[in-house]
Amino acid sequence: MIDEGRPLFIQIAETIEESILDGSLAEEAQAPSTNELAAFYRINPATAAKGVAVLTDKGVLIKRRGIGMFVAAGARGILLAERRTSFAEKFIDPLIAEARTLGLDDDDLTALLRERSARFEGAENAASTEGNHP
Amino acid sequence: MTTVIDVQHLTKQYKDKTALDDVSLTIEKDTIYGLLGRNGAGKTTLMSILTAQNFATSGQAHLFGEAPYENADVLSRICFVRESQRYPDDATATHAFKAARLFFRNWDQELADRLIDDFQLPMKTTIKKLSRGQLSAVGVIIGLASRAEITFFDEPYLGLDAVARQIFYDRLLQDYAEHPRTIILSSHLIDEVASLIEKVIVIDNGRILLHEDTDALRGRASTVIGDAAKIEAWADGREVLHRESLGRVASVTVLGHLSDADRAAIAAADLDLAPVSLQQLIVRLTQNAAHPESTTSTMAGEAR
Amino acid sequence: MSRTLNVVRLQLINKNTFIWVPLIVLGGAMLVSVLIYAMIPGDDPKYGGGGQAPLWVFFSVGLTAMTLTFPFSQAISITRREFFIGTMLSAVLGSAFMGVLLLIGGGIELLTNGYGVNGWMFHLPWLWEAGPLGAFIVYFTLALFFFVVGFTGATVYKRWGATVLTIASIVIALVLVGIAFLVTRLELWGQVGQTFGQLGALGLALWGLVVTVALMGLSFLAFRRATP
Repeated sequence: MIDEGRPLFIQIAETIEESILDGSLAEEAQAPSTNELAAFYRINPATAAKGVAVLTDKGVLIKRRGIGMFVAAGARGILLAERRTSFAEKFIDPLIAEARTLGLDDDDLTALLRERSARFEGAENAASTEGNHP
Repeated sequence: MTTVIDVQHLTKQYKDKTALDDVSLTIEKDTIYGLLGRNGAGKTTLMSILTAQNFATSGQAHLFGEAPYENADVLSRICFVRESQRYPDDATATHAFKAARLFFRNWDQELADRLIDDFQLPMKTTIKKLSRGQLSAVGVIIGLASRAEITFFDEPYLGLDAVARQIFYDRLLQDYAEHPRTIILSSHLIDEVASLIEKVIVIDNGRILLHEDTDALRGRASTVIGDAAKIEAWADGREVLHRESLGRVASVTVLGHLSDADRAAIAAADLDLAPVSLQQLIVRLTQNAAHPESTTSTMAGEAR
Repeated sequence: MSRTLNVVRLQLINKNTFIWVPLIVLGGAMLVSVLIYAMIPGDDPKYGGGGQAPLWVFFSVGLTAMTLTFPFSQAISITRREFFIGTMLSAVLGSAFMGVLLLIGGGIELLTNGYGVNGWMFHLPWLWEAGPLGAFIVYFTLALFFFVVGFTGATVYKRWGATVLTIASIVIALVLVGIAFLVTRLELWGQVGQTFGQLGALGLALWGLVVTVALMGLSFLAFRRATP
């Protein structure tokens, strides 16, 4: 859904990035056209075009003349690298800040991390085995 | 980008009111603009003068590089259907569209027919007898099917119900995508048109308050809510648009982009962050322009 | 030029305006007149003014051309000049149509000897003094004059308001009364009557045409800055 507080074209770009990252939009597959995006989200085509332009600039999307927009080979790689860079700032820093507020030091934090990680994987495994039942 | 409309120091003075006060702006080609403002702010006056339907007291306006008055070359490329447009005595919608077809070189009858169908417009009833919504639909159809290079829509949705308005917005976007042109849409329903318009012009009391990319305005302001004392502290030194309080809880709307660090600080201080929609931003800015920083409310109700 | 001609086409899109309504009003006036003539006893020729009914339609059409059609023309981006000339052309065509109707009506009356009751509303003797062409011009001029008066009145109203219009009308009325007063004082009615007699209906009509054209000119001056 559209977030009022952030530029639309960025949100469009992010939506496409998400679908590339989670695999629903494969590399070298055709990406939705500007007009399709505009129609789907009911927004100005120029805004959709700006969002697409952000991704072409990053090298995530490429334009094939006469055919359309395609996801670049290696797009996932580009996005993952980008995400990793901002990961620390976006997630780790607030985590540390909150931990300090609660009086948790680095060791406490690490222990928590391992414990929750194990639980996380356990839950994932359960979900996938369930999914394997016919 | 090419400029299609150039306005320089346009003023419209009536006996007891200044409808437009030294307005200067440029309009770019093939862009959808939102012309936003209160009733009586000057939106219709501006559009009337640009289309030579009204006359400025001073200043100039050029469309496609020329003055529009009695200029068939310029006028044939623009369309301005007013909010309460008059039609010839006894005319039906059929007559109105036939007439429009005679004068708009890009008129698309197929598009008109589709829209007539979309709005379920009765073609043989005299326009006098149409409902308010159907009357608006006639104007909207002329505006869209004219495919004029510069098309003005003056609060076109008045009388249209929510469903019909959505149809209008959808058809507008669709046709604009296939046939790009300059569109200037005046509206009160800012949030409804926010995702359609590429640029925003806010006019208030005859003056231009704002003229920016819509996307640049998103995130331009934020509302922070929480304990009154903390809010006061946090808001200190920032440009405040609006304050409200209810007991010990206060909310403040500030202008200015918030960095990730800002957001972290807000979360850490146990305060809540709410986005400010385009409509809210414009309302606050307009109120502020009228009464600088006295917008305080202690009544319950919206932190909207 | 073609845009101006398109204004004529615009005025004729709705055939009611210049064709059907005047026709129906005329037909109605005819019917009423014939019925009245039929009721009047005696064999003397009976003359009536039923023919003026459609003229008031033209006044009304001139009025609404300014109050309704003009704002619409602005929405579809027609210039004021194109609209004015095109509309006046349409009025000329419409008035010519009225003239033709008069001739047809006169012909019918001649053939039926006054609808069989010696009643006349089209073929009035003094009207046809100068022949059918003369009659045509008289009726044509009257229709056009009524149209232009309606249009001009509406233009004055829209530009300067009801007060100015009222004052202007009163001033015109006073001027006419003033002239009549002078003529009476100077005992010139005899001469006036003679002149009119010499001019005949056709002569008066031609002068009327001059006045109408002059009025058109004044109207255009006011119209140039009218807002819808």
